[in-house]
Amino acid sequence: MIHSFIMHVVCPFMGTIGYAILFNVPKRFYLCCGLTGTAGWLMYHAAVCCGASAATASFFGTLVVVLLSRMLTVKKKCPITIFLVSGIFPLVPGAGIYYTVYYLVTNQLAEASRRGMESVKVAFAIVLAIVFVVSIPREMFQFQVRKVRKG
Amino acid sequence: MKIQQIRRDKDEYMDMLLMADPQRDMIESYLDQGEMFALVNGGAVCAVCVVKMLKNRKCELKNIVTRESDRGKGYAKYMIRCICEYYGNICDTMYVGIANSKGMMGFFEQCGFINSHVVVNYFADHYREPIYEDGVRLTDKIYLKKQLGSEIDVKKVVDLALEAGRILLKNGAEIFRVDETITRICHRFHVEYVDTFILSHAIFVSAENGMEETYTKVKQVPLSSSHLGIVAEVNELSREIAEGLVGIEEASRRLEEIDRMPSKKGYFQVLAAGMGSGFFGYLLGASALESMVAFCIGCFLYIWVLKAKKHNISKMIVNIVGGVIITTLAILALHIPILGNVKMDGMIIGSIMPLVPGLAFVNAIRDIADSDFLSGTVRMIDAILVFVYIAVGVGFTLSVYNNLGGGLML
Repeated sequence: MIHSFIMHVVCPFMGTIGYAILFNVPKRFYLCCGLTGTAGWLMYHAAVCCGASAATASFFGTLVVVLLSRMLTVKKKCPITIFLVSGIFPLVPGAGIYYTVYYLVTNQLAEASRRGMESVKVAFAIVLAIVFVVSIPREMFQFQVRKVRKG
Repeated sequence: MKIQQIRRDKDEYMDMLLMADPQRDMIESYLDQGEMFALVNGGAVCAVCVVKMLKNRKCELKNIVTRESDRGKGYAKYMIRCICEYYGNICDTMYVGIANSKGMMGFFEQCGFINSHVVVNYFADHYREPIYEDGVRLTDKIYLKKQLGSEIDVKKVVDLALEAGRILLKNGAEIFRVDETITRICHRFHVEYVDTFILSHAIFVSAENGMEETYTKVKQVPLSSSHLGIVAEVNELSREIAEGLVGIEEASRRLEEIDRMPSKKGYFQVLAAGMGSGFFGYLLGASALESMVAFCIGCFLYIWVLKAKKHNISKMIVNIVGGVIITTLAILALHIPILGNVKMDGMIIGSIMPLVPGLAFVNAIRDIADSDFLSGTVRMIDAILVFVYIAVGVGFTLSVYNNLGGGLML
């Protein structure tokens, strides 16, 4: 229990903050960046547990990241890039690159192309999810924040 | 909060205008010729004013009034500043005629007006009913004036807007944000005709003032490292400019300050890279020990990246060598006996992450989603190439290691 908490909550949270620092994100946004990254990863993990493929899971994970980023952007009045870039890091197919190269070098070409294609699919899933949410008109998110304030 | 010019149905605001000028036919005498402006905040009109053009590049502020419930919030002052900037392009002097009351004098003096001349017995002659204020009958009309000079000119505004755009683009903002910021700043300072063309590494702005003079400027913005903190600051500044809280001089001073904002300290970045590597390594399936190694590799990697950035080494070399460093260190870790039975995968995957071009990738997607295909493609190629460079670095080292061991090492 504790192990999976560390694994799936602490790790993406701290990791995301690490990258937020590398991009020189102002200190006051660290917490939000961490939360975005964690939420995205938890969604990804849940989807994988339900038997979804890596691409589908990345799609849903990214959806959560972008939605959350857009809400935070309206609330904190700052560019969306801040949350989006750091939040998306846990989902970027870094492992895919490594395995593709590894199998290429060890001459297991079938495995290499499988891994390569999978990374490309994951990348496309991320693209699709971002485009999808970015296209939602701005007013929708402003409305949401106003409603919360009234409550 | 914004100022709108009212062109039709000016009579609708008569009840407000009557608060400042009690005689209806006097208002009607200047309402038709005068230009009327309204300050709109949150959909409601909070203040209105009427300005009449006189001869010889002069104009007169005939009436300015704030709705009773909104007084004391600085709306009138803001409005005067805006119309002064607006008329600065076409007039030299703005007059305002007021009754002899201390409050009014004080207010207009704060706005930069000075005494001009007095028309004796104006109110007694022109108004049917005597006007009293604080029990004193008002008779003389005092004229104040303000030199508008050129409070702003197109050149200055475009320079400011372009500088803001350059800083944004350099530090990794999306194309539409740069475009929006430039247009927003120009419109705020009444440069209405402005055209921008923005690429991933250049900005073209062309602006026109009311007198058919066009001013064009091109700025090249070389690709460099990104700093999202600066993007956030400029964004905030542009928001303040659009709300009218910041004048043009202050804005350029603050832009300079923002541009000089330093990155995080070197060792802090190195530790952050290590932290990212370690935690993501663990997340992507490394053991605790392997994550510790990934932390160290990430730190070493980032020392190289920072050194390379300092000497402007090309991106290609930075990433290929980065890949080589990661893999070499991971292989070394395999052969350190204290570490025992570690696997290479987790360590390498974790420590690759600081090199991954997340920002370029995300920006490319967003530019393409906004139909900025040209910049989107350039940034996407940038991102993909970095992925390839990393792969080349890692692959090269792995294959050398494999061949040294006669194909049995991996």
